[in-house]
Amino acid sequence: MIVEVEVNGKRHRRDLEPRLLLSDFLRQDLQLTGTHVGCEHGVCGACTVLFDGEPARSCLMLAVQADGHKVGTVEGLAVVNALSPLQAAFREAHALQCGFCTPGFLMTLTAFLRDTPNPGPLEIREALSGNLCRCTGYQHIVEAVSRACGHPRP
Amino acid sequence: MQQPTPQPTPQPTENATKYAWTVPPDRTRVIGTSVPRVDGPDKVSGRAKYTYDIARPGMLHARAVRSPHPHARIVSIDFSAAKAAPGVRGVLTWKDPGTEVMYQGDVVAAVAADTEPQARDAARLVRVEYEVLPFFSSEAAAMQPDAPVVFPNGNTQAGQTQETGDLAAGFAAAAHTLEATYSTHVITHVCLESHCSVCEWNGDQLTAWVSTQGVHASKQQIAGALKIDQANVRVICQYMGGGFGSKVTADAPIIIPARMSKDLGAPVKMVLDRKEEHLDSGNRPSAFARVRAGVSADGMLTAFDGVTWGTGGAGQGANFPLPYIYQFPNRRRAHTNVYINTGLQRPMRAPGHPQGCFVTEMLLDELADLVGLDPLELRLKNLPPTAPDAMWAEYYRMGAKQFGWDRRHPTGDRNPGPIKTGMGVSANQWGGGGRAGAAHVRIQPDGSVLVQCGSQDLGTGTRTLLPVIAGETLGAPLDAIRAEIGDSNLPFAGVSGGSTATPGIAPAIRIASGRARDALFARVASALDAAPEELAAGDGRIFVKAAPERSLAWRAACKLLGQEPITADGQWEPGFSSVNTSGVQFAEVTVDTETGIVKVTRILAIQDCGLVLDRLLAESQVYGGVIGSLNFALFEDRTLDPRTGVMLNPNMEHYLLAGMTDVPQIDVVLMDMPERGVIGIGEPPTVSTASAIANAVRNALGVPIRSLPLHPHRVLAAIDAHTNSGGGPA
Ligand code: FES
Ligand code: FES
Repeated sequence: MIVEVEVNGKRHRRDLEPRLLLSDFLRQDLQLTGTHVGCEHGVCGACTVLFDGEPARSCLMLAVQADGHKVGTVEGLAVVNALSPLQAAFREAHALQCGFCTPGFLMTLTAFLRDTPNPGPLEIREALSGNLCRCTGYQHIVEAVSRACGHPRP
Repeated sequence: MQQPTPQPTPQPTENATKYAWTVPPDRTRVIGTSVPRVDGPDKVSGRAKYTYDIARPGMLHARAVRSPHPHARIVSIDFSAAKAAPGVRGVLTWKDPGTEVMYQGDVVAAVAADTEPQARDAARLVRVEYEVLPFFSSEAAAMQPDAPVVFPNGNTQAGQTQETGDLAAGFAAAAHTLEATYSTHVITHVCLESHCSVCEWNGDQLTAWVSTQGVHASKQQIAGALKIDQANVRVICQYMGGGFGSKVTADAPIIIPARMSKDLGAPVKMVLDRKEEHLDSGNRPSAFARVRAGVSADGMLTAFDGVTWGTGGAGQGANFPLPYIYQFPNRRRAHTNVYINTGLQRPMRAPGHPQGCFVTEMLLDELADLVGLDPLELRLKNLPPTAPDAMWAEYYRMGAKQFGWDRRHPTGDRNPGPIKTGMGVSANQWGGGGRAGAAHVRIQPDGSVLVQCGSQDLGTGTRTLLPVIAGETLGAPLDAIRAEIGDSNLPFAGVSGGSTATPGIAPAIRIASGRARDALFARVASALDAAPEELAAGDGRIFVKAAPERSLAWRAACKLLGQEPITADGQWEPGFSSVNTSGVQFAEVTVDTETGIVKVTRILAIQDCGLVLDRLLAESQVYGGVIGSLNFALFEDRTLDPRTGVMLNPNMEHYLLAGMTDVPQIDVVLMDMPERGVIGIGEPPTVSTASAIANAVRNALGVPIRSLPLHPHRVLAAIDAHTNSGGGPA
């Protein structure tokens, strides 16, 4: 099937197998390997991307569903090699260990902070309750988000 | 694997005096501060390449064919349909017909194809005929006297009975005795990046990208398995998505692609899916303990008699330390390994300790109630003498104050209403202490510095330790230092496991950096009109100790090197690191007696780990360990179907893990003990939380809690059982 999709602002036109997952398309066809697959069935949130601006689990979508849509991945967050404030806060607050879950957290948060610019610690935890970190860096992640919003330690 | 037996610390060497960790007061410390991890930018931008992200030109994808049965004999394997499937390039027999598969997920064969979906399709087309054989899906079944012989050397294997003191006298001295059976369950590692590798040959040389906790160990194991020279194998692991002890063996997911890649003349990648990961990449063994214990009227432990067993799967042991930490002068212990038809155990964060800790700490709360003592009081009476590596008493007293232990009510929350609250405590210990590591340091004339060490970073932050140690030792700015790890072509380092990685490599990096600094002093001293030994380095400068204003900025000093860089090597030596940590944890919970749901509301962890190299990294190890143990207590549970022997939850939907909203406020107190040198911290913090939580639940409910996990239905069952038995003491 011919699919036209815009990823991180760049248009791609590809002939794709209908069964190809969106996560595999991003990782294998476009070599955007920042999107990670952890559980493979919609539980861990590691594969979260922005689909027309809303967080979506790319392991649960087919690439062909993205035809005519816009997809955002972690590779699109940094502006010209400078980390976004959220990325910088993750780094400073040590909100990652192995880092495998990190892109998913960042994508979920990008949409969340756009809609809720000034969240409290409980709101942050609620918003991230669908992202699992096995290592597990939850405490520092909440700190990073607070820091990105300009709050002191929660 | 049990924890390495701590050995006496040998005499410090000359280097240990010369390059001791102490920092003169006139210099700013780097070590012990909060240096953000150097791989942060790569990880938050998606640039970090995990093994799972590696793609090589012309790469094929391998997929294993696995046994659906817990125990069967392979009658025949027919590859014909698979070979004819689109994209298939080759097949491999892993287990020959006539041999047995011992658990669901045991590897039988493999296929390689152009794409991953093609490999999956083809694997399904491999026809394996099995003769299904009897199996065990529980310890109890395998231990039946009339059970069929499923394991060639016996279904169980009894160890030596260990006995100390005079058991009969111990029980005679007891005012109270208690008999109870405690147990903990099997959990799996659930690394978010599953086990995977990419293998590529160039002539007789193999390059393997492996998600591994030991690039050097992997290299040696792969060479052994393939019967080739170790010098012909290079293992690379730049970034990895967790290991927790499960990524220490070079098994099928590495050897299959290595062999197929050789046969097919193309790079081959193999990635386990989530189900394979649960079934066949390790687990924490179960533990059962039937205990009889005695305590005197004034709360002194007098006797411990334990019969224990557990399973590490189809042929692996399940021993654990017991009794844990507290002193029973008279004790006996007999352990039996029980084999059942599941995947094999592998070391999982503090192997054996969470189990032994649970049995002992739960027992102690029950004994405290029999005597009528506060559980903390009972513990303080029975701890080993306080020493730098045994600080529990002090930490307990400190923690009690900080946590508000005096607000703990006696066993059973008397408040009306369905929500009960409770508190619990627990202690941990770990040996740790690595003894293998080498490092190389190079100072370039432009002032940039390369630090190399063939260790690897599971996510703990190992990579960041290189610039932290080298930066402080050389006095070079941190951004001038590049760290290289994760490649078996770099100087040798041991496996990152058992909290041995940091104490193994830190001394080597310190010595190599110290030697490089001294060589630099020798070459720039004349420019400062001083003798080399009059110089010091720090804060980005080389200066004369007695007259700090006579100094050179780091880069200006390096410029004097002309064209010839400075290189220096270092190896682990005694005097920079030591073994044995201690820690305690406090937990507070609420339990809803109508739903059985346990909520942890607060955790306090007090933990020492010798010299703290990077505070952020060390703290994050404690947070991670605590939450991992909370997972063990309340969420994770590998569930087997007793009738079919297959795993019922080989996914992340029914195999539960705590999310953000399940995690309480966690307070970490890191006890810095610089005089002890470096000790690892990966394991100890994950030992205690589960038992502190379980004792808090017991304190809330006033009913016996003797097994994990505390899933809601099991909590309700514990309440019901207690009510039905007429109440009485918990
Ligand atoms: S990989 Fe998509 S939710 Fe886990
Ligand atoms: S940092 Fe490893 S899973 Fe989150």
